[in-house]
Amino acid sequence: MKKLSLFLLPLLLFLLVSVFLLQGLFSDPTERKSSLLNRGVPDFSLPDVMNDSIVYGPEVFDNQITLLNVWGTWCVTCAYELPFLTQLREQGVRIVGLYYEQDLDPDFGAKSLRQIRLDIDKKLGQLGNPYAFNIFDQQRSLSLDLGVTGAPETFLIGPQGKVLLHHIGDVNERVWQQKFESVYQRLSGQALNQQESVR
Amino acid sequence: MLAELGHFSLVLALLMAILLAIYPLWGAQRGSATLMATARPLAIGVFLFTAFAYFCLSWAFFENDFTVAYVAHNSNTLLPWYYRLTAVWGGHEGSFLLWVLIFSVWTVAVAVFSSSIPREFLARVLGILGLVGVGFYLYMLLASNPFERLLPFFPVDGRDLNPLLQDFGMIIHPPLLYMGYVGFSVVFAFAIAALIAGRLDSTWARWSRPWTLAAWIFLTLGIALGSWWAYKELGWGGWWFWDPVENASFMPWLVGTALLHSLAVTEKRKVFKSWTVLLAISAFCLSLLGTFLVRSGILVSVHSFASDPTRGLFILALLMLVIGGSLLLYALRAPQLRSIGRYQLVSREMMLIGNNILLSAATLVVLLGTLLPLVHKELGLGSISVGAPFFDQMFVYLTVPFVFLLAMGPLSRWKQQSTSALGRHLLMAFGISVSAALLIGLGSDSFSYMATLGLVLSIWILVATVQEVRQRIAGSGEMFAGIKQLTPSHWGMVLGHLGFAVMIIGIAMVTSYSQERDVRMAPGDSIELAGYTFQLQGVEPLRGPNYTGHVAIMDIYANGKKLNHLEAEKRFYTVQRSVMTEAAIDVGLTRDLYVALGEQLNNGAWALRVYVKPFIRWIWAGALLMAIGGCLSLSDKRYRMAKLAHKASTSEKPQMGKASAMGEIKRADV
Repeated sequence: MKKLSLFLLPLLLFLLVSVFLLQGLFSDPTERKSSLLNRGVPDFSLPDVMNDSIVYGPEVFDNQITLLNVWGTWCVTCAYELPFLTQLREQGVRIVGLYYEQDLDPDFGAKSLRQIRLDIDKKLGQLGNPYAFNIFDQQRSLSLDLGVTGAPETFLIGPQGKVLLHHIGDVNERVWQQKFESVYQRLSGQALNQQESVR
Repeated sequence: MLAELGHFSLVLALLMAILLAIYPLWGAQRGSATLMATARPLAIGVFLFTAFAYFCLSWAFFENDFTVAYVAHNSNTLLPWYYRLTAVWGGHEGSFLLWVLIFSVWTVAVAVFSSSIPREFLARVLGILGLVGVGFYLYMLLASNPFERLLPFFPVDGRDLNPLLQDFGMIIHPPLLYMGYVGFSVVFAFAIAALIAGRLDSTWARWSRPWTLAAWIFLTLGIALGSWWAYKELGWGGWWFWDPVENASFMPWLVGTALLHSLAVTEKRKVFKSWTVLLAISAFCLSLLGTFLVRSGILVSVHSFASDPTRGLFILALLMLVIGGSLLLYALRAPQLRSIGRYQLVSREMMLIGNNILLSAATLVVLLGTLLPLVHKELGLGSISVGAPFFDQMFVYLTVPFVFLLAMGPLSRWKQQSTSALGRHLLMAFGISVSAALLIGLGSDSFSYMATLGLVLSIWILVATVQEVRQRIAGSGEMFAGIKQLTPSHWGMVLGHLGFAVMIIGIAMVTSYSQERDVRMAPGDSIELAGYTFQLQGVEPLRGPNYTGHVAIMDIYANGKKLNHLEAEKRFYTVQRSVMTEAAIDVGLTRDLYVALGEQLNNGAWALRVYVKPFIRWIWAGALLMAIGGCLSLSDKRYRMAKLAHKASTSEKPQMGKASAMGEIKRADV
């Protein structure tokens, strides 16, 4: 009997591994625990990408549920999610863009601000514009504070300016339904109740 | 139309595989010759229908038939015709079709070349292969059909092949690798068939050896090519990344290497039987696990195919059935195996046990390193990544004792080796290797411990190998006559071990003495690195069939003399919108000069990366030597099947068997 158990060892090891493989199959490999979850958005003061004279701070997230979407025209995957985000906007979701430019375009060197604006206009004109406005993260300072590792990344920010969800990778229909929608509905339900109780 | 025929042909191949999984196995159980005789025609049928399906898909690529979804996703009219044909394995579905095609090739090879293996055993082997095949074909037809149409709305042009794959290395890397992966399915089938029959004797080991060798050769070449391609194509001069998918191909290789050695012991000495069977099963299981890791998207890797959970689930189920089932069979049957041979502490058996323990430990290190991030996260402990430093360090620790044993193994005798004789040899090898390495190390400009260690190890192998050949031919008096007497398989071993020594030199030198510079250069500028002068002549626009870009023209001088003229490209593939570097390399025996073009800066200046990589060719040369060694062993007369059959039938008579075993112990070649 003792001998049999020794020969069973490989099987048991394999079964153990396969439990983890099964679990791993249903979780996103790019998912990471964000250190910012349930904390406030870090302080910032950054201009609008289209208009330097407008400057935004953390108060733009007050009293509203917002999706903060990190993107850039150079980012291929971002282009994929633009149409879906635009759909969300049409359903009434408020989406704010956090735009950042790469230091240097891999092909054509540094871009002028004018060129960046032209590119943004072109891209959003082609694929749909989901954004209420775009914050221009010139030095990537806010991205750094938010723990952004690349683009696209999307944060769900609650009415108190708290980061409730952090998603790495594109937001598509499946991601939205599985990850965002329930939290979003709960929040907007709460917001409605509060409004009614005020009345 | 042809796509539908291809699809239908795959369905027929599946049906054949189902029959192949039922009739021969049943026939072997019942002892029915008629049922067992179906095995060969069915195996050929599976192959023919798969080959036809493969042809149909290739044709769709060649003709730019973008109504086929897979073609539309992986090809483009601008793609040259040879890349259109190799684009067949550029994505998930097509590469799996290639996998299945290669699987059917191996099956046919077993059916054709094993005519002399006992009927019953062959029927079982082919039946097991059929059983595994059913899983593959079902998976392809249900979860990743390459013939799916995009009708009625199909694109005018395709999305192009991933630019990373538009390279010569990529044309042959996947087929070779798959030949290796899938080749282990044959060894697996032999092991399972032997377990079912309850007959795990040295003939089983002897039948398995050529198949193991063949699969191992392909895997060695496939991995080496992959490494060479990454070096050339990824633009930063690395040759091994410990990427999960590389690890997935490395694990079967490690186990396959252990299996090669362990099979030798089982054949010659009839010991380690249950261990050898476990290795034979593991080699294929790790290949399957690798497939799962690549194709399910469970790990983050540059190699990942577009993934969805249903596919992953299907492969996992397949994994559970094949691996779980075979390990269960193993657990039930292995305790009955008896090893009869005896051996002393200092003997070739013990050295090979050491070899196997170290190779298995290496496999476990790679397995743990690959799966730990996953396990860690699933346990809710957060994301971690296991990087190259961990693997590098572990492999240094493992390589030193491994090389120590590698030198001792061939020098030792089976059963018992006199310690003093072995000691004399080793003392001499040790003296030579340490002093030679120190001389070289101190003679060079900068001393590095790692490089010196690498030199000691490889010279140690070299000296011990020469000693071993001398010891072997000493008995025959004259030197040349003695050399002639050595069998091809013995030369195979010698070459394999030398190849490993060559590879160690390459690795040690590259890791210790590589030099690199990131520089900003305008046309006319020049820089110095390791005694070479790199002068940028200019950067010119570039236009290819499906890309545009820039090419940097670089002249290299050494001691005032012009050495070479390099053109490093940066390509922008217009359809996929991705940028690729094509590094320019001046190849040399003792160093590579490597130039990669970076980004354009202002004022016409460019960012460039320049590397000097000493001895990097030796890494691949070592792998090539190992593979050639494998081919030599494979060519040995011992593996000619007709002869084997004769021997096998005679060795069943006890007195003859003993005599032949004795003869082999005297020859004692692994």
